[in-house]
Amino acid sequence: MKNKHKKMKQLLAGPYMFWCAAFIIIPLLMILYYGFTGKNGGFTFLNIARITTPENLKALGLALLLSFVSTVFCLILAYPLSMILTNLGVNQQSFIVLIFILPMWMNFLLRTLAWQNLLEKNGIINVVLELLHLPSLDIINTPYAIVLGMVYNFLPFMVLPIYNVLSKIDKDIIAAARDLGANSVQTFLRIILPLSVPGIISGVTMVFVPALTTFVISDLLGGSKILLIGNVIEQEFKQGSNWHVGSGLSLVLMVFIIISMALIAKYDKDGEGTAF
Amino acid sequence: MMKSVLQRVYLTLILILLYAPIVTLMILSFNKSKSRSKWGGFTTRWYVELFRNDQIMNALYTTLIIALLSALIATVIGTAAAIGIQALRNRFRTFMMGVTNIPMLNADIVTGISLMLLFIAFRFSLGFSTILLAHITFNIPYVILSVTPKLKQTNKSTYEAALDLGASPVHAFFKVVFPDILPGVSSGFLLAFTMSLDDFIITHFTKGPGVDTLSTKIYSEVRKGIKPEMYALSTIMFVTVLLLLILVNISPEEKQGRRREPVKLQRRHKLSRLLFRKIVPVMMAVVVIVGGVFYGSRADNGGNNQVIVYNWGEYLDPDAIAMFEEETGIDVVYEEFETNEIMYPKIQSGAIAYDVVCPSDYMIQRMIENNLLAEIDFSNIPNIKEIGDTYMEMSRQFDPDNKYSVPYTWGTVGILYNKTMVDEPIDSWSVLWDEKYKDNILMQDSVRDAFGITLKYLGYSLNSTDLDELEAAKKLLIEQKPLVQAYVIDQVRDKMIGNEAAIGVIYSGEAIYTQWENPDLQYVIPKEGSNVWVDSWVIPKNAKHKENAETFINFLCRPDIAKMNFDYITYSTPNVGGRALIEDESLRNNPIAFPPAKDLDRCETFRFLGDENDAIYNELWREVKSK
Repeated sequence: MKNKHKKMKQLLAGPYMFWCAAFIIIPLLMILYYGFTGKNGGFTFLNIARITTPENLKALGLALLLSFVSTVFCLILAYPLSMILTNLGVNQQSFIVLIFILPMWMNFLLRTLAWQNLLEKNGIINVVLELLHLPSLDIINTPYAIVLGMVYNFLPFMVLPIYNVLSKIDKDIIAAARDLGANSVQTFLRIILPLSVPGIISGVTMVFVPALTTFVISDLLGGSKILLIGNVIEQEFKQGSNWHVGSGLSLVLMVFIIISMALIAKYDKDGEGTAF
Repeated sequence: MMKSVLQRVYLTLILILLYAPIVTLMILSFNKSKSRSKWGGFTTRWYVELFRNDQIMNALYTTLIIALLSALIATVIGTAAAIGIQALRNRFRTFMMGVTNIPMLNADIVTGISLMLLFIAFRFSLGFSTILLAHITFNIPYVILSVTPKLKQTNKSTYEAALDLGASPVHAFFKVVFPDILPGVSSGFLLAFTMSLDDFIITHFTKGPGVDTLSTKIYSEVRKGIKPEMYALSTIMFVTVLLLLILVNISPEEKQGRRREPVKLQRRHKLSRLLFRKIVPVMMAVVVIVGGVFYGSRADNGGNNQVIVYNWGEYLDPDAIAMFEEETGIDVVYEEFETNEIMYPKIQSGAIAYDVVCPSDYMIQRMIENNLLAEIDFSNIPNIKEIGDTYMEMSRQFDPDNKYSVPYTWGTVGILYNKTMVDEPIDSWSVLWDEKYKDNILMQDSVRDAFGITLKYLGYSLNSTDLDELEAAKKLLIEQKPLVQAYVIDQVRDKMIGNEAAIGVIYSGEAIYTQWENPDLQYVIPKEGSNVWVDSWVIPKNAKHKENAETFINFLCRPDIAKMNFDYITYSTPNVGGRALIEDESLRNNPIAFPPAKDLDRCETFRFLGDENDAIYNELWREVKSK
């Protein structure tokens, strides 16, 4: 009886499995095919080997560095924020989630362009600083502006999972720790922090990976002077129209994505740290 | 006390960070000036214009329909999948969750391209349905990931109790489980909707001609400068959502509300429930049905008598299209591209049969060499006589017998400088290497333009394939890099208007507009010579409506239309008859739009150098950019 129900339930995943096969797995196989073949159709490792040219390595290294820094910043900003949000005791979780999703209703490109307006030499921030007789902020077209853009765009993806995990922690556990004599630092380090690891891991991957692969942010805020691996791939697909090399480089990026997935699978087995 | 103040300050700071760009965009929507870097006074004009702009309204409509449909379908499939996956054996479950993570973690560009490859390989014609499929694909994971945690929190025994008490599994699910996971389902739906709304990269690769979402529309405008109507639309959308959000949250959570709150709040609560359970879904349904009918009827009409146009962004007066449709009864399906390089693979793959395209000189040569173009039947284009002989001559550089192309616009590449920031007369490319202007130079961000300028400065041809010459140019470009403020394409326009830089490399067509907005700007073609380019209409070989395409080209060659277009896009017209119609003398003989022959003699047209040389150029350019 019970087994029959289980079978029926499993059937519900059927349409999705079909969908995955058709629109996720097969397309990925096509990228794989392009990545391992040359323009004449023969098998080759050359496309993947292209990552080892000094320019591409540098772009990859810089992308790794900037996305790492952005992830750290997001984490530093998001963790206290999530704690504050949890303590606010707003019981409308959806409201908090929406506050962070709401900006997405303004198009991503427009928002990033607006940062240009804010950061430019004669931009809004500098006009305000000048009025206050403060030194001007000169970060447009530098890696700092790119990091700012990344933090801005991906912060919600760090806040939401951490907030989600923190708000689920049983208050009684914390009270118990206090009763047993732990001070607030100890409670934090030994109770709250370990319990929030799934959220942190999920947040870290959800910030790190898109930051690693972006090309729009580096284009708009870096003045196209700073080439990240995402820009290289985009150029291969669009300007060089060399899809084989583009696919090969994408496969290299996918290694990082697989690492992230493995991390999630290891530390967040039950999917507690989902953002939403 | 102190702590809570600190907390509030921190919270406020984060919110400022999140909402500063949004406030900026809202302010821009009231800006009289079309340029985003200049405040021209307060106006509500764009809000009025917005509703008159069919293209934007169509894009808005497509966006909403796609977001709604893809979110709905994804919610159904995703919720079912979440339940199903939960019942799977452990190892298989982990695998499925892994697969689910792929579209979320994968780079958008990879997802987009992989889907495009799929659609092309299986001969789906790119269009509305392919965007929908793509959006459903990346939306399902969001639903699954929102539903699964809720599903885990549900108490299995209540479900089993319901079964024991004789409820059918379906009945038990909807009565017992579903209410518990509903918050997950609805936040999944909302998230899917938002993601679909915000996506542009995946849409960009999977869309077909004539279908535009707001994102792709905005993207094609990014380079040319965003139309202020877009800001207005975004503001309206944002405020609408904000208001809805406030409405939902006016009453506190149900359970508490019922017990403690006064009657008034309860009533308000009922109202918001009515609003969200009944009115909103009904409205959504109405929009979908009405829209579906509208779309269906339009698709029928446009069946045979149409022409599919693929043009640069902001490169044709929309009123001219309307006139054409009215006069000839031919429906125009209009699609825009941003660079020749993005256009080319789309034509080459043949995924979409465009009827008439507007590439630049060297790209036309490449298309001719690769046998992608059809010969134009000039007996259908009597107005070709309006095109000046000089320009037909110019075209022969890439279309030797004038068989494949009809010139549409032309221009030069030169230096735009701000007279208030530069005190010496500028007549040479050498200023681009002048230490004095460090961080005040805007350089073109395209391979051929950047190398073309440098090769000219060195005294070589801008079509050079000599490795030593190219190597020298590369060295010079690397030397220049520390002086460059930013590499830009059409953004040079807004930045120069906003006094962001002293010197910028710009196309002549943009220069006229920037001068209107900022009279301090001056354009010059350097004495070493430069690039003179031509954009022409061509007809791809696989065009399905060749005669309509010729009618369209003929229409655009009519002097009154050419003049109308010139007024709109300010790019030089090769149409002699059209130029004569320009009333304003200073514009008709504007030296930027129509430079004297002695300036043009020093200029060259780009030629296609072959795939191998292209690859060399790209490689060298990448070395410059990554230094």
